[in-house]
Amino acid sequence: MPRFLKDFLTRNGTGPGLVMLGLVLFWTVGLIILPQLSMLDFSFRPNLPPPEIGGPKDVYTLENYKYLVYGPEGGGQAYNAVDLMVFFRTLVAAVCVTVFNLILCYPIAYYLGQTKGNHIRVLALMLIIPYWINEILRAFALRIIFGETGVLNTILTGIGLFDTPFDFIRNDYALYAGLGYAYILLMIFPIYNVIESLDHNQIEAARDLGAPWWRIHWRVVIPYAKPGISSGCTMVFMLSAGALAAPQILGGPSSLWFTQLIYQQFNDSSDWPQGAAYAVVLLVTCILLVLAIMRLFKVNMGDIGK
Amino acid sequence: MNLSFLRLSVWIYLAIFFAYLLGPLVIMAVTAFNSPSFPSATPWECLTFEWFSALFQDTRILNGIKNSIIIGAGTVVLSVLMGLAGALMLTQIWPKLRATYYTVIIAPILIPGVVLGISTLVFWDRINRMVGLGPDSVLSSGLFLTILGQSTFIASYCMLVLVARLQRYDTALTEAALDLGATHAQAFRKVLLPFMRPAIASAAVLAFLASFENYNTTTFTFGEYPTLTIELAQKVRYGISPAISALAFIIVILTVFAALTNEAAIRRRELVAAARREATVAELSGGGVKLPGFLSGNAAAGLLVALAIATIVVVGTATVYSPDQCITDIREQKRIEADLRAEELRRKRDEERKLKAAEEPAPAAPTGTGTSSGSFGGVFDPNALQNAPAAPEAEANPPAGNNSGFGGVFDPNALKGTDN
Repeated sequence: MPRFLKDFLTRNGTGPGLVMLGLVLFWTVGLIILPQLSMLDFSFRPNLPPPEIGGPKDVYTLENYKYLVYGPEGGGQAYNAVDLMVFFRTLVAAVCVTVFNLILCYPIAYYLGQTKGNHIRVLALMLIIPYWINEILRAFALRIIFGETGVLNTILTGIGLFDTPFDFIRNDYALYAGLGYAYILLMIFPIYNVIESLDHNQIEAARDLGAPWWRIHWRVVIPYAKPGISSGCTMVFMLSAGALAAPQILGGPSSLWFTQLIYQQFNDSSDWPQGAAYAVVLLVTCILLVLAIMRLFKVNMGDIGK
Repeated sequence: MNLSFLRLSVWIYLAIFFAYLLGPLVIMAVTAFNSPSFPSATPWECLTFEWFSALFQDTRILNGIKNSIIIGAGTVVLSVLMGLAGALMLTQIWPKLRATYYTVIIAPILIPGVVLGISTLVFWDRINRMVGLGPDSVLSSGLFLTILGQSTFIASYCMLVLVARLQRYDTALTEAALDLGATHAQAFRKVLLPFMRPAIASAAVLAFLASFENYNTTTFTFGEYPTLTIELAQKVRYGISPAISALAFIIVILTVFAALTNEAAIRRRELVAAARREATVAELSGGGVKLPGFLSGNAAAGLLVALAIATIVVVGTATVYSPDQCITDIREQKRIEADLRAEELRRKRDEERKLKAAEEPAPAAPTGTGTSSGSFGGVFDPNALQNAPAAPEAEANPPAGNNSGFGGVFDPNALKGTDN
């Protein structure tokens, strides 16, 4: 038995130590690492009917990844323009949603973090309540508002801004509003947590030295809140790039989100390896993008989740 | 002046922000009480409670709630256990492994839910095949897969909550218990666990809520156990109904109830503590401390009571109130409006036809149109449509002798002619 394992068991007792170790191993290896590796392995295999799995035809292939880039074989197109477009559109839109959320939430987080008083508790409560109800229901609420005969259109045509109802759903405005709406809390809380611990005297000092408000934020508050900001941005970006409910409910009929393609491959065309390959591409791209941006802004992985 | 302007703009910003946050929920709640079968807040037609009874008669929704509760309970148990073990492990893992270990257990929060669902499905499908079980074994059951898939990332949330409290734990307490002869299990159960109880409670609530509302992971793993969220998503995708607004309204009210109860309890504890602090020693020892009443100085408790009374009143009204009269009135009104509109349309058409007839002498009118006397003034007469565009085309095209809509540009001869 290795030394550290022996130490571990004497420190925690054999029984509790083994239970703890078993649970941690089950979680990290059985639920996190092996399933991801299994998905990666699966994405390199052809789509076979169950009896042929493990048979002579079950060999590694790059087919599924080729499909994303070049489209079906003999499809007549140089590239799989549809799927690639969806992929890049998803990433760009997720970045836009993240930036929008950051701009929207930073002032709120700053206000909540630096103001004292009883009303702050009430505001925090009002912030949390929408997040206790279902993701689907939140999207549904926005659909009622943005629908063709929805509240917004009734108001806009009522005051004469538009003659005919504007189709917010087909133009994807509803989708972006919905994605922004869905993850506000995940942006506010990390920033709030950091700003709350910022000593107000620092801001006072900066003000006394004659700094205008925007410079106080630029030179004092934002550098201090950087771990919170990057944590919030990472979560919002990952979640909106991987969102499925909001695009399904609020997306226009002609525009797809990349996760919807994955969903279709699993449920409609039951091509699991293809879906797994797309999922791997999504995961790897998102992680690389986040790591690149964290490197750019000099933030550590350990700051995430604080 | 500058300061008050700043303050005003802060308040305006807060108002806009919270309108964006809460407005959709308010509007959705309103649609639950409006009678049109497409959920809409405007125009307001009739106050109705029929969407609530429609909701309670929907067996799929009820079944979904049942499944959600079963899966939620399983997820809470599994993820709190794994989260606690993970948090304890984090405090004593070999330092060199610590960063890697932390990355691994925090990663599920960042991995898209879709990916987690797929990987769980694919992995357990493979295990199932390796073990040689059939397609309807426990390992491929929706219940099992969903609990595992959700616990993967919900355990990370629990771990974060638990670690925050564990950092304030003094390990000397456990050592003292061990020195005094407790076994490790006893020290864990009697010393560490009571200390961790508040954090475990909040982790459990968080885990249940996260499981209850999860869609992305569950949609790949649910199998024959569709949860409430899955049922809702299917309903919303294939036609929306105010019954869903009714459900949302109930959830919002329950949430507000829970939040207010929590607030009231915290506030009450503060007030009691304050009263004790101000009490004299004699009062304390005599047990004669005057504790504040439940409602005094406690806005949250007041709101809670008001909300409870309002709920009882609304439910009471709902049992005796019948919107039938209003609905028939609205229907009648709509019918009259539609009639009026049709009447007006007919009159307009008639006038137009008369005008046309006056402008063009009878023989010049295209054949066939004159015979049509329907209220649509002959717009549906096939001949009317054919005759009109045919005339200009016949004028434009005769030299090319080509009748296609492209005016002969694709005619190879046309191109040759210009070249020469």
